[in-house]
Amino acid sequence: MEGLFFNVNSGYVEGIVRGYRNSLLTGQHYNNLTQCETIDDVKLQLAPAYGDFLAALPPNPSTSALAGKMTDKLVAEFRYVLAQATGSTARFLEYLTYGYMIDNIALLITGTLHERDTRELLERCHPLGWFETLPVLCVATNVEELYNSVLIETPLAGYFKGSLSHQDLDELNIEIVRNTLYKNYLEDFYQFVNTHPDFKGTPTQEVMSELLAFEADRRAINITLNSFGTELSKQERRKLYPEFGKLYPEGSLMLSRADDLESVSLAVSISADYKAFFDAVGLTQGSGFGGGSDGKSLEDMFYQKEMEMSKVVFTRQFTPAVVYAWMRLKEQEIRNVTWIAECIAQHQKERIGNFISVF
Amino acid sequence: MSGAVGREAVFPTRQSLGLMKSKLKGAETGHSLLKRKSEALTKRFREITRRIDEAKQKMGRVMQIAAFSLAEVSYAVGGDIGYQIQESAKQARFRVRAKQENVSGVLLPHFESYAEEGINDFGLTGLGKGGQQVQRSRETYARAVETLVELASLQTAFVILDEVIKVVNRRVNAIEHVIIPRTENTIKYIISELDELDREEFYRLKKVSNKKQRDTAAADAEIQAAREKAAQKTALKPVKEATDAPDVLGEQEDADVIF
Amino acid sequence: MAASAVAYKDRQFLAVIGDEDSVTGLLLAGVGHVTDPPDSQRNFLVVDSKTETSTIEKAFQNFTQERKDIAIVLINQHVAERIRHSVDSFADPFPAVLEIPSKDHPYDPEKDSVLKRVRRLFGE
Repeated sequence: MEGLFFNVNSGYVEGIVRGYRNSLLTGQHYNNLTQCETIDDVKLQLAPAYGDFLAALPPNPSTSALAGKMTDKLVAEFRYVLAQATGSTARFLEYLTYGYMIDNIALLITGTLHERDTRELLERCHPLGWFETLPVLCVATNVEELYNSVLIETPLAGYFKGSLSHQDLDELNIEIVRNTLYKNYLEDFYQFVNTHPDFKGTPTQEVMSELLAFEADRRAINITLNSFGTELSKQERRKLYPEFGKLYPEGSLMLSRADDLESVSLAVSISADYKAFFDAVGLTQGSGFGGGSDGKSLEDMFYQKEMEMSKVVFTRQFTPAVVYAWMRLKEQEIRNVTWIAECIAQHQKERIGNFISVF
Repeated sequence: MSGAVGREAVFPTRQSLGLMKSKLKGAETGHSLLKRKSEALTKRFREITRRIDEAKQKMGRVMQIAAFSLAEVSYAVGGDIGYQIQESAKQARFRVRAKQENVSGVLLPHFESYAEEGINDFGLTGLGKGGQQVQRSRETYARAVETLVELASLQTAFVILDEVIKVVNRRVNAIEHVIIPRTENTIKYIISELDELDREEFYRLKKVSNKKQRDTAAADAEIQAAREKAAQKTALKPVKEATDAPDVLGEQEDADVIF
Repeated sequence: MAASAVAYKDRQFLAVIGDEDSVTGLLLAGVGHVTDPPDSQRNFLVVDSKTETSTIEKAFQNFTQERKDIAIVLINQHVAERIRHSVDSFADPFPAVLEIPSKDHPYDPEKDSVLKRVRRLFGE
């Protein structure tokens, strides 16, 4: 029954996104791309999918310019979808942008801390994380002002409140700030899809819980692995783990106590999926970071898994979760193309196949 | 050439001839020594040049690999970390110290890279995702920078050696083309002047001896004449003979003996 | 030689002038250094298409002439092209100026000021 009235409000959005999904590059496209000799060839191959957006690029553009234009298309499409959405779907879509906002705010905090002209930073902000009052934050000249502006002006206030004070912004490493915010964001999002009356008991709750749980676990594992050998203490590290996900709470606890790869792989062995990743990249044998037999790193495995999960989302109907999935797929596509373009530009073709294609 | 060089302003004496001769000898020794130094340096120089050429090629490769590792980072992080990196840089972890190396008396600096322990500005970069790639990229870049440092040593050595070789070659050429010919000229000059003096003296002495001979001959003739007169007188009055005999130990001087 | 020994004894940093990727990479390697406030100076400069040539020039002069703690200046070749005159006329042994390739601009030995001198010396 949950789908009965879905289409009244959100049917158009879902339809549009399904259309977008069909324009995603397939394995065949990627095959063609890997055969390219120059960036211009890549551009030509992308023309059917990206058309106008690439037209403005100069001949043989840099890979970053190419990625920028592709992101522009994603942004334009997402904005259109957002403009069409109403009610709880619109709210859902806004949640999607918060992740980018966190990055933008982290950027501005960095700039303010070093007393740079933050106006220059606006160009560097991710367009999806743009909100109307973002330029207001640039007025702040010190961290305290910035902190207050963030609380007043941004939708992220809730993520700051209670876990970070303005002194924290000054003292803590920006990465810790970012990850704290991200943890709060994930928890909030998770809460939202699980409790909102429009989503409770719908496929959205089911799908999104799974996706967000995966994201939470991935972050927890990554933070643990990356914090080895840094000044991040175990207590602080633990605060950065989102409090849900397949690994929560036992796995998280074990992760928070881990201080080498083996204990991490032991902690994640609760979940068969993650255990398989660790086995595949050989971390359990202690053969070092990310050097699997087929050149795949743990990071690649996570991306692969994420893409597969996103693909499966499209089998569900009557849910805005497809937008989330589409965005993840699209981002991966941009990364893939950037990677291929990078390989071509730098004549490192032996690893060009290292992208992730699920279609 | 040698005509234009001129000579040093010395008095053509035997003493200065001796001085000049030792100076010439010194110049020749110095020349051969400097020449050998220049050759040694040039050999080193060519070796360095060759190594620079190689290192530059190698740099092209390592920088490419390093740039590629950065591409991996941006793939894994899924965004731009440039700004954050720039802002979090505080203390250099990678530093160099200069050492000296002695090549034929030339001190060449040699950069040596070392890591300042305990400085880790980017330890938490990519904490959420991509951290492993960031670490790997750091290692790759650190290796690349080591190559660059090596190249910088070579290049500095190249610049210094270039300068030193120029100076040495200038000295070699100066000795070869200026000092030696000049000293030789001076020696020639002194010798010719001394010869000239000798010849003048000889001529003068010859003149003197001629005059003396003439004088002696005149004196002899006078004596002869006097004797003949005396002989005639003796014949007239023999008693006076004893008194007229020449007095060898008397007032009359001997003629100088000339050889 | 005593004077030059003093000249490079304190030189322990590397300086970078280059595009964003090169600078990011080299900073990752740990070459970045910001001197203590109040007049904190960075030892790197990011150059993009909007950067004025005079800014590059100034940074280059700063790294090569004014600062006495820099042993090696790394500069992207395509950036060096823009201030070619300054780079070519800089002939002091310290700091060593090294032209490095960037991601988008592969290394071209023909343009390198040092290699040009090598070629000239050997009359090639």
